[in-house]
Amino acid sequence: MKELFPVKQVMGFVFSLILTAVALMVYFTDMSFSIGMTILLVTAFIQAGLQLVVFMHAGETNDKNSIYLNVYYGLIIALITIFGTLLILVWDM
Amino acid sequence: MKIDNSLPLEYSTEENNLKILGFWIFLGAEIMLFATLFTMYFTLENRIGNGPSGAEIFEITPVLVETILLLTSSFVIGLGIHAMRLGNKKAMMIFFSITLLLGAGFLGFEIYEFVHYIHVGATLQTSAFTAALLTTLGTHGLHVTFGLFWGIAILIQIKKRGLTPETTNKSFIFSLYWHFLDVIWIFIFSFIYLKGMM
Repeated sequence: MKELFPVKQVMGFVFSLILTAVALMVYFTDMSFSIGMTILLVTAFIQAGLQLVVFMHAGETNDKNSIYLNVYYGLIIALITIFGTLLILVWDM
Repeated sequence: MKIDNSLPLEYSTEENNLKILGFWIFLGAEIMLFATLFTMYFTLENRIGNGPSGAEIFEITPVLVETILLLTSSFVIGLGIHAMRLGNKKAMMIFFSITLLLGAGFLGFEIYEFVHYIHVGATLQTSAFTAALLTTLGTHGLHVTFGLFWGIAILIQIKKRGLTPETTNKSFIFSLYWHFLDVIWIFIFSFIYLKGMM
């Protein structure tokens, strides 16, 4: 039975629950918008990275470099799309 | 077909490796799809017209339950893949079934949430904000719904054919999809709900 619950994945799960709890602090405590956003950005990206490496086995095979390159590329386009749009349409710069 | 027995079954042939890499490339495109939806949401979130704002309609309880359900299901399918690599077909099928049940639970809560939104007057036509919100949540929800059917089909195949290079490859790719949906949910949870209620 024990072999079915690898330590690495159980730890990953516990850690992602902790990160969720930390993110919830922005709801349950009174804090400024910028501090809250900083906390959310940090917890969300750590948690996404955790999923990628621990659960999706991104770095396991010889295709490791292609997989990471592809994810980084997707992420860069995503961030440019989001922040580029905000810059022009919302923040009015 | 050349089978390399030193690797887990899902990676054991060249074709399997390529299918997994190909699915990662699909996920890269999915990242960009959701990026455009988030772009739309962040641009329009304050354009509420005569409708309600996010802070007025979001409820923490269902959102929290959905988050825990999806997070747990993502963990359980990871255990399923681990059991698959140990060659334990029964444990793998149990973990996959639990994953799908948790996914169905998630979907139930999301449907409840949508009914609630429509009940309080936040429909697709109410304002730019509600349209962007429901489209983003709906796209994620549709992905989960599709995942449920996909998962059931995979369970049937595993039951019929056992753990072969083909079925393990399909299961592994399905697990990638499922984890990816959890990643997207983390961003929805953080930057739509928590940000909106802050």
